[in-house]
Amino acid sequence: MDKLTILLPAMPLLSALLIALLGVRSRRGVARLSVGFAVLTFLLAAASLAFYLVEGQPHWMSLGRGWGSLYLDPLASLMAAMVAGISLVVHVYAVRYMAEEPGYARFYILLDLMAAAILLMVAAGDLVTLLVAWHLIGVLLYFLLGHDAARPAAQRYAFWTFFTYRLGDLPLILAAVLLYQAYGTTSLPALFELIGADPGAHHVVGLPLTTVTAFLVALAAFARSAQFPLHTWLPYTMEGPTPVSALMHAGIVNAGGFILNRFAPVFVHAGEVLHLVFVVGLVTAILGSVLMLMQNDIKKSLGYSTMGQMGFMFVEAGVGAFSLAIYHLIAHGLFKGTLFLGAGSVINNARKHDGVPHDDVYTFVVERKPVAYRLPWVVAAALTVVVPFIILGLSHWLVDDDFVGRQGAIILLFFGWVTGAQLLFVTYRLRAGSPWRLMAMIILSLVIVVAGYTWIGHAFDLFLYPDRAFSDRLYAAASIPLGTFEVLAAILTLAVVGGWAATYYATANGGLRSGEASPLRLALYSLLSREFYVADVYTWLTQAVLGLSRRLNVWLRWV
Amino acid sequence: MTLLLIAALFLPLFPLSIVFNGALAQLRKPVAQCVLLLVWPQLGVALLTLASHAVPPYVVPWALLTAGFYALRLLTVRDMGQWAGVLATSALALTWALAAGGADRAELHAFAFWFSLPAALVALLAHPLARRFGAAYAGLQGGLIGSQPRLSGALTLTVLAAVATPPFPGFFALLNLLQKLDLSGAVGVLAIWLVWGWAATKLLQGFIFGAERAVASGDIGRISSLAYTGVLGVFVIAGLYLTGGGL
Repeated sequence: MDKLTILLPAMPLLSALLIALLGVRSRRGVARLSVGFAVLTFLLAAASLAFYLVEGQPHWMSLGRGWGSLYLDPLASLMAAMVAGISLVVHVYAVRYMAEEPGYARFYILLDLMAAAILLMVAAGDLVTLLVAWHLIGVLLYFLLGHDAARPAAQRYAFWTFFTYRLGDLPLILAAVLLYQAYGTTSLPALFELIGADPGAHHVVGLPLTTVTAFLVALAAFARSAQFPLHTWLPYTMEGPTPVSALMHAGIVNAGGFILNRFAPVFVHAGEVLHLVFVVGLVTAILGSVLMLMQNDIKKSLGYSTMGQMGFMFVEAGVGAFSLAIYHLIAHGLFKGTLFLGAGSVINNARKHDGVPHDDVYTFVVERKPVAYRLPWVVAAALTVVVPFIILGLSHWLVDDDFVGRQGAIILLFFGWVTGAQLLFVTYRLRAGSPWRLMAMIILSLVIVVAGYTWIGHAFDLFLYPDRAFSDRLYAAASIPLGTFEVLAAILTLAVVGGWAATYYATANGGLRSGEASPLRLALYSLLSREFYVADVYTWLTQAVLGLSRRLNVWLRWV
Repeated sequence: MTLLLIAALFLPLFPLSIVFNGALAQLRKPVAQCVLLLVWPQLGVALLTLASHAVPPYVVPWALLTAGFYALRLLTVRDMGQWAGVLATSALALTWALAAGGADRAELHAFAFWFSLPAALVALLAHPLARRFGAAYAGLQGGLIGSQPRLSGALTLTVLAAVATPPFPGFFALLNLLQKLDLSGAVGVLAIWLVWGWAATKLLQGFIFGAERAVASGDIGRISSLAYTGVLGVFVIAGLYLTGGGL
């Protein structure tokens, strides 16, 4: 078991070293070697997950020098299996995709090193190993994104990514230093045990160390997972090769969710930081989704979609549902990786045929033509509001009858209800030969999705946090006073229902398409199309710093 | 006190650092630049340890300001030899902060060495570039990664080592320094580290990336490439063994 743990990051590292040192030049040789090691790595990761499921005990092992230790717990074993799986798919996909590109061996060396760094990060058993892996991922990603050395855009956006990642490295390093100064150990299990024994034992600048550490870790996670306003790099990384985009959106960008879970024993004592995580995640989710809808380029649209999904993942962590964030990142990683790897085929097919079926769905959703047959509006409204409520409530009650006691669960249910109601709201007017049958099928689909999501989410929770008391404490830490919670929920409900009513009114009167746009709407559109001028501000700051540097050098005659 | 002031010449603190950078600029031979980069800071550490005075508290902010000042200037330095000197000045100034944190003599010598060796290698690599293109100047000859992969590889690894990227020893040395500083000092060092990374990407973008232009001559030889890789490999192993991971 211990040997398997060591081999996990060692396998891809060995592959990279062999390609570099043996000077493998034939493309076929490079691909065979790298893909072969990727297969072995995946098998090892799957075996280590299986061993964990059988033994049920976490393993910690060290090289004995205070760092270089690995820790295989439920989180690490699950993440390692996922990373190794996605890495294998990307390796195989790149064999032909990169065949015409220069620097084939270099690409595979970097890909292998990246896989090794990510596996080291998820299995890191101490702060120093975690920092080494965390830092290396940013550096390697810079070179992978800039693989096409001749494209200035690729270089520019690779630099944006690198700089944001470095910016995110710093708070994590500071958190590690503060923890080491306070507790005198770098071992993660030992640290978490000491923190759990006396969470208020140490203070920094008048605040509890746990709060400061959680805040710093959250900052590192924000940068790594493209949370607003550190999101500008993500949509532009499409300039890199498609396999790298897939690896990044399916794996690397999820590191924020991973690090929050890894430091869950710290966050459980830092409820106010969880509130910050929730707010930042919510803002990111909304902005990412809005910006996604404004794009006309499939890959950029996918980039903003990832930003929105990362926001949802942080919302989940912010309400205390840490295990749900891991489930979300794995599910998102799998479907987003598939979308990226299939994007080329979609573009290719679209050049020959637009692929849009000119049926009722198209005329209803795109052309917004009114339909002749529909359900009575009272029935539709009742179905819209009541059905998702019943489905969500029942499925959660079946897995955990105490869920109403957790504010986090209520918030997530609220989001689920809004999504379900939205789905029914926009589809009940759809033309169909048998509207009752159509509605029944939609509700059945909703039941399957909700039940599946609830059951799998619950299984993840039991697997990742078998200690139910700890899981409850996470929810409790994320809670706010009941009165405030109820007021916020009421405001949110009113905003959602008001939004629906406004949309319904505008659609019914054809207001969305007639007349000139108001100045307010135009201003909003400009703001959104310029992505809130965040990138412009960063560019201005960068130019100001470089200008200052240049002036200083001129004044001092370059010595 | 006099010894400390002289040490500030060798472990350069601004404005005394002008002497070090001026001397480096005067030297034309890359080997001489290498020797200066390696020996000069070691003399500074020797003087520092010989001084009977402890490092006065005001020296730490002075050292951090010097390091930050040179890190900022590094962003727009495009000559590779000069880049090595400015980076070394920024990094070596931090030795004072380490000394004030109570580090022993061996630690101080090692710290200076972890930062001066990669800087010396960067200065050495300027030589093959200058021989091929007339000057080792970022942006003058881009796209080296396509035409000169061995030189690009050596340059990339050396620059990464110079800006304290793991697993090079500079990374662990900085971790060790950080845990000896108070919060404000640690934040200052982290900001300086961030700027080094920025400067490194600007330098690499000026040499190895970009459109490939006409190549004056071939790549560096396999033996030279292996020598650079070997030195950096030994450097990594020695660093891992001696620093024990930093924290």
